[in-house]
This record gives sequence, C-alpha cells and structure tokens, in this order.
Amino acid sequence: MAVNGKAVASHNGKVPRWGMAIDLKRCVGCQSCTLACKAENGTPREIFWMRVLEQEEGTYPQARKVFLPIRCNHCAEPPCVPVCPTGASYKRSRDNLVLINQDKCIGCRACIVACPYQVRFIPEDTKGYYGEELTPYEAKRYQKWQPRTVQKCTFCEHRLETGDQPACVQTCPTRALVFGDLNDPESEITKLVRARHHFQPRAELGTDPSLYYLT
Amino acid sequence: MAHEFNTELVAQEEWGWLLALDLFFGGMGGGLFLLSLSFNLPASVAVVSVLFVALGAVVLMIELGHPLRAWRALCKPFSSWISRGVFCVTLFVVFGILYSAPGFDALSWLAPDSDSVRRTIGVIAAVSALLVMLYPGFVLAASPSIPFWNSSFLPLIFAFHSLMVASGFLFLIASWGLDSAKLAGISFLGVILIVANLVMGAMYLGNAKGSGLAGKEAVRRLNAGSLGRTFQLGVVLLGMIAPLLIIVWVPSVVALAGLFILIGGLLFRYCVLKAGVYVPFPLT
Repeated sequence: MAVNGKAVASHNGKVPRWGMAIDLKRCVGCQSCTLACKAENGTPREIFWMRVLEQEEGTYPQARKVFLPIRCNHCAEPPCVPVCPTGASYKRSRDNLVLINQDKCIGCRACIVACPYQVRFIPEDTKGYYGEELTPYEAKRYQKWQPRTVQKCTFCEHRLETGDQPACVQTCPTRALVFGDLNDPESEITKLVRARHHFQPRAELGTDPSLYYLT
Repeated sequence: MAHEFNTELVAQEEWGWLLALDLFFGGMGGGLFLLSLSFNLPASVAVVSVLFVALGAVVLMIELGHPLRAWRALCKPFSSWISRGVFCVTLFVVFGILYSAPGFDALSWLAPDSDSVRRTIGVIAAVSALLVMLYPGFVLAASPSIPFWNSSFLPLIFAFHSLMVASGFLFLIASWGLDSAKLAGISFLGVILIVANLVMGAMYLGNAKGSGLAGKEAVRRLNAGSLGRTFQLGVVLLGMIAPLLIIVWVPSVVALAGLFILIGGLLFRYCVLKAGVYVPFPLT
C-alpha cells in the first residue's frame, strides 16, 4: 500500500487507518470533488458518493453560505457493518477501509438505514441518465455495479493501490481535502488534526469517524 | 446541482409498506402461536401462526434486492439482528410445524412419539415465536442514525403490539368455533394489551420528543400531515380505542374489533418505519 508513491508501513505496530481532514475554511462549495468522484468511479444515475451540502446562515447583510462536504466516514466503529446480515459490509483489516462485497449483498438496506451520514446508496435499476439506452461511457462504467446492491465511497481504493490520492483530494482547487494515515503521527493529516480546531461528525454516536472537519 | 444537496431533516425512505407487511405477519404469527399455547387453542391455530410467519418471510424475500441470495442472511447471527431474526423465523417454522403435526392426519408422520419430545419442541417453538415478535424492534433499535428507533424499549413495544394483533386475529375468527370461555379470556387479555400499548406508546413518544432534533421531528411527523392522520386515525383511534370500546361495550361484534386491530397493527408498523428521521447533518 502506498500514497503519493510512498510505501506506507505500519506505525507503532498499527496498520494504516486512512482518513480525511476537510478544511471548512477553505471549502468554497464548488462541487469539483463531487464531479471528480462521479467521473472517477462512474457511479450510477443520481448517485453521488461524495457531495457538498450547503446552508445559508445569518440574515442580510450578514448572510453567508456554509459548505459541508460529506461522504463515507470509514468509521473505526462503523454501524453499517454489524447490522449487515451477510458480511457484505466489512472493515478491511489491512487498512481499516469500510468496503462492500457486492456479490454478498442481498439488498436488505439495513446498512443504509444504520448509517448516520446518509452516504450509502442502492441503484434501483440499470438505467442511465438518458433512459434504458446507456451512453458508451455509462455502458462501460456501469458494468462494475450490480443493481439493487449497496455501494458507497471507497476512498478510491484502486487509486491508493497505485500510490495516488483519492480523486476528490487530487481535484480540490483550494486544498480543502487532506488525505492520509491517521495512525501515522508524522502524516500531514495527523499534524493538521493536532494543530487545528476540529470535530468528527456525530462522534457522539460512537462511530469514531475517520473524517475530521477543521474549523 | 448544489441546491439538491440540502441539510434538512429527512426520514429514511428505504423501508416502507413491504417491510411493514413482513413485520405485521411475522409479529402476528409469533403472537398467535403463544396465544394458542396459553389458551390451549386447536392445533389449526398453531398451523395458521406458522403460515403467517412464513408469509412474512416470503414478503421479506420479495423486498430484498437479490431474493436468491437470501440464504446469506444466515451468515452473521453473532452481530446482525436481521440474521438472528432469520434464524428465529426458520426455527419457528420448523418447530411450529413439528409441534402442530399431531393435530393433522396429513402431518402425523412428523409427530414426535413421546410427550416429553413434543413438550421440548413446543418450548423451542414458543421461544422462537417470542423472538420473532421481538427481533424487529432490535433491528430498528440497532440504528444509531435514527434516534426515534434507537431505544431498548422498542422491542417490547413490538412484542406487545404483536400479541395485540394476534388477539385481534382471534377475535376475527371467533365466530368460527372458538370456545366462548376461551374467547372471554382472550377478550380480557386483549383489553389489557390495548391499554398497555396505549400507555407504552404515549411514554415512547414522550421520550422520543425529548431525544433531540430528529426524535422531535419524528414525533411531529406522527402528529401532522398524512402520516399524522394515518397514525392518529388509523393506529390510535381505529386500531386501539375503537376496538377497546367494542370489546368492553359491544362484545357481540368482537369480530369488527378484530378487524380494526389488524388494520391498526399494520398501520402502526408502517408509521414507525416512516417516522424514522435521521440525525441531522452536523451543519444544523
């Protein structure tokens, strides 16, 4: 396993725990991460593994928009895993990624309901954006998705294997997204989390998300 | 595009009528079996209870994205309540049929020879019937994402509702030969169950209202709009208060009370599912 061409060994006897720091002061809500994810993973119609929520705060003339990029948190204690009756949802022991084995998924949707972050999705059919007939892009990219099985962000695990960052991180024009190993005390993400005020989304639920919002 | 990604409180939309039907049939079947044991009802009632649970399982399979993979749901009984539930349903169907077998010529070859074996089979079937009534509550309570469900009280409510619905079914078929002494006992139990469900339901809603934004929103939805009408008129008025009045004051039309309880029981499960509001995003 490597990131940016650098092999990542275990630190303090721990396997990597991939995580992401999201700098809310830098995020401008451009949705480029949303599109980069869509293009990289070829997710089915109307499914966005990553998206940026927005909300207006204050009143004129002090009104402003705040943005919140959301995606799978790859929690250390993922509530989606124990509810799965088949073992299709699992936490990979070698890098703590929370993944889905589509061949085992029966489509019971228990994991979708159990996820407090609403970042698990199930394509109901094989239609594309223009109906039954798929575009050449869709025909190729949708091959890897089984309809009526659950899918979600994988932190672009296929890119991690080749030493690249997740597509959303590479694309972000403001460097609001920082990806790395939370178990490595020298990684940029760990240093950022140490140095900056931050919160983990809905940490009170005991999920211990691997996402840190820097404030 | 960004305007579609809002931060409003939303309810889950994954589970609806089909799961409500599954929970309804499963709960009614489990409750019916326990009532048939408690009141020593004819073996046909126990068989019907098994059929209801099996019907619930069929409905659940229809709801799955991949019904042919349903056997995989037996893979994680040590962590998943759905998996445990599937085990309980399977156990109940097998042991429920074995227990009822002596009452039917067609099934007599399945009947155990000794009384002690039949008693053991009956105990296993009864325990699995109890778990069939309880497990949906545990399935829902296992979701920290939905505070309205995330309560250890929910399995108990599901169990009591299942018993109430089972008593409703017996009221409905009472005119087909149910002993009047037994009917009186079931009516008495039915009244207790209705009152208990009203009290527990009120306590549950009161508790949920104080459990944060999502819980409060869930209770609001059960008191407003179309879901509110379904809950107030269908679940509370038609499903509990009307049957209570009929059983107490007009017992001659107890079958009508039974029908109302069944309708209310199904709507209750639907309302609980549709009131499942997610915890808000950290922005709100």
